[in-house]
Amino acid sequence: MPRMTPTSENPTLTVELGPLKLKNPVLAASGTFGYGEEYSGIVPLKHLGGFITKGLSWEPRRGNPPPRLAETSSGMLNAIGLENVGLEVFLKEKLPFLRRVPCPVLVNIFGSTEKEYAELAGRLAEVEGIAGLEANISCPNVKAGGAIFASDPKTVYRVVAKIRRATSSFLMVKLSPNVADISKIASAAEEGGADAISLINTLIGMAVDLQSRRPVLGNITGGLSGPAIKPIGLRMVWQVSQVVRIPVVGIGGIVSATDALEYLLVGARAVQVGSAHFIDPRIGLKIIQGIKDYLEKNQLPDLNTVIGSLKV
Amino acid sequence: MIREVKAKILQQQKIGEYYFRLRLLCPEIARVAQPGQFVMLRIAELHDPFLRRPFSFSRILPPRDRKRKTEKEGILEIWYEVVGKGTSLMTRLRAGEQLDLLGPLGRGFWEVPGQKKAILVGGGVGIAPLIAWAEKLQGKKKGTKALSSSVETPAVLVLIGGQSRRRILGSKECQKMGLDPQVSTEDGSLGKQGVVTDLLERELLTSGHSSTTIYTCGPMAMLAKVAQIADQFDIPCQVLLESRMACGVGACLGCAVKVRAENLPPGVWPSAEGEGGGEYAAEGGFREEGISQPAKSLIPGIGGAPQFRYARACKEGPVFEARYIIWEGY
Repeated sequence: MPRMTPTSENPTLTVELGPLKLKNPVLAASGTFGYGEEYSGIVPLKHLGGFITKGLSWEPRRGNPPPRLAETSSGMLNAIGLENVGLEVFLKEKLPFLRRVPCPVLVNIFGSTEKEYAELAGRLAEVEGIAGLEANISCPNVKAGGAIFASDPKTVYRVVAKIRRATSSFLMVKLSPNVADISKIASAAEEGGADAISLINTLIGMAVDLQSRRPVLGNITGGLSGPAIKPIGLRMVWQVSQVVRIPVVGIGGIVSATDALEYLLVGARAVQVGSAHFIDPRIGLKIIQGIKDYLEKNQLPDLNTVIGSLKV
Repeated sequence: MIREVKAKILQQQKIGEYYFRLRLLCPEIARVAQPGQFVMLRIAELHDPFLRRPFSFSRILPPRDRKRKTEKEGILEIWYEVVGKGTSLMTRLRAGEQLDLLGPLGRGFWEVPGQKKAILVGGGVGIAPLIAWAEKLQGKKKGTKALSSSVETPAVLVLIGGQSRRRILGSKECQKMGLDPQVSTEDGSLGKQGVVTDLLERELLTSGHSSTTIYTCGPMAMLAKVAQIADQFDIPCQVLLESRMACGVGACLGCAVKVRAENLPPGVWPSAEGEGGGEYAAEGGFREEGISQPAKSLIPGIGGAPQFRYARACKEGPVFEARYIIWEGY
């Protein structure tokens, strides 16, 4: 079959995250898209750039006590507590579906020790049908007294290097915005051997019920997501893009093609759409179409010319 | 099959002081929806309020004829109470406007084989899904009578409770179905003075309770009491739980309900559509903040209580068998 040359009427949306090639830059973020199965009846998955599964740990976790959700102005707080089925059930019950999914699937992983991250990555490296891993390092490090891995460049370097030694799979590291200097953290992940960096995870927030004088969330605090956090996401992706050579994937408050394109402008090679799925399950497809429309309208044959083209 | 559809608003009506009724033309969902299931309703086109809102149906009128389109079929009714930003905005919706619905979602009420009597216990606006369920049970009765008198259908008794007469909904609808509901109000302004669970206890004591099933929806404290009574009389009880939700389809794990973790007897807790209901059941044990626990052992902090897990109200519910809910704190 002859390959079509990209023109402004038929622009290319293909992007490369190091070794991982995506047919378009729109991924569904971990924790907002389940294991893909939940949305497969309403969303034709084959059109997505890919999706990232709910965070997985070696052992199952039952998560935080309810209430786990609180709506905020143009956003929401969640405190799910990393509930997940654990590796064994994942391999047995979730993987068969994921293998058949007609788009790249990344598995989000986390642990409470460096060893756990590495073991999980090593075990998943033996599995067919997964395009790569996303390591969530916004978790308490049991050995470091519960401080999150993502908060200290040295810890970040160590955990990423350990995962890197355990797997040759595509490895993306998801950063927390709840840190003093995001650039240093990103550089540490790059030095540790990450193929790509994704940011931002949720911002720690809180909601209060005046009437009962109690926190709204069972966990007291939770992660803020939604349009409210987009300016922070943009700022951090911009900062990180200045200092790392590996691809950056932008996350945070994306609900439209405009939002996605803004992230690409500041340097993101791809984006992840998160809580917007709860309002519109097909939002990813609409964003892909919107990006295409933007390229056509501006007579741009290749999306890659937009990436990092912010005029400062 | 979950659908995202634009429904046409046929009517927005205030009922009493606190409640509203939305009548929607939505044949795609009305065709397949079951009482106790729900839709996620998108209130704002912009992002504040950000999330959809879950609502169960007070009435489901499936389309009878696919070719003939009328505005008397393919209808869903939603009753709601104004409690916050989302429901306040909902009151501004007008007939003729479009509303984005995602549904039908979750697992609705189910019939218990051999049941001779169904007692429906509703508190406040919680009566809404029970009205739809009563209509289904009553409709079935009519249908089966015409076909065969040997098919047993349950007698339906509806108990409605509220703080005052202005909090009582659904009695008119019951009467239209040929049902004579019993009403209680806490201030005695309508029906018997007291709480609706008193009506339930009295009914079970005086009329017996063999082959009886309870179906209930309302405030958590009321549901906990109904569950306790059902347990005492050892009769099956289905509760529809309200919960904060984000996705409505089982993806976000936001609508967690604390349930017993032991494996459930088949038939009592049927699998949700297309997915194993017991997927989070404790087989390999749970990890609680870094402490691995063997499956059969007890979780620290809840003493001798059984193992628990969190079920998703949107997928495994919103209707649950009451004895699998852990009611502590209510």
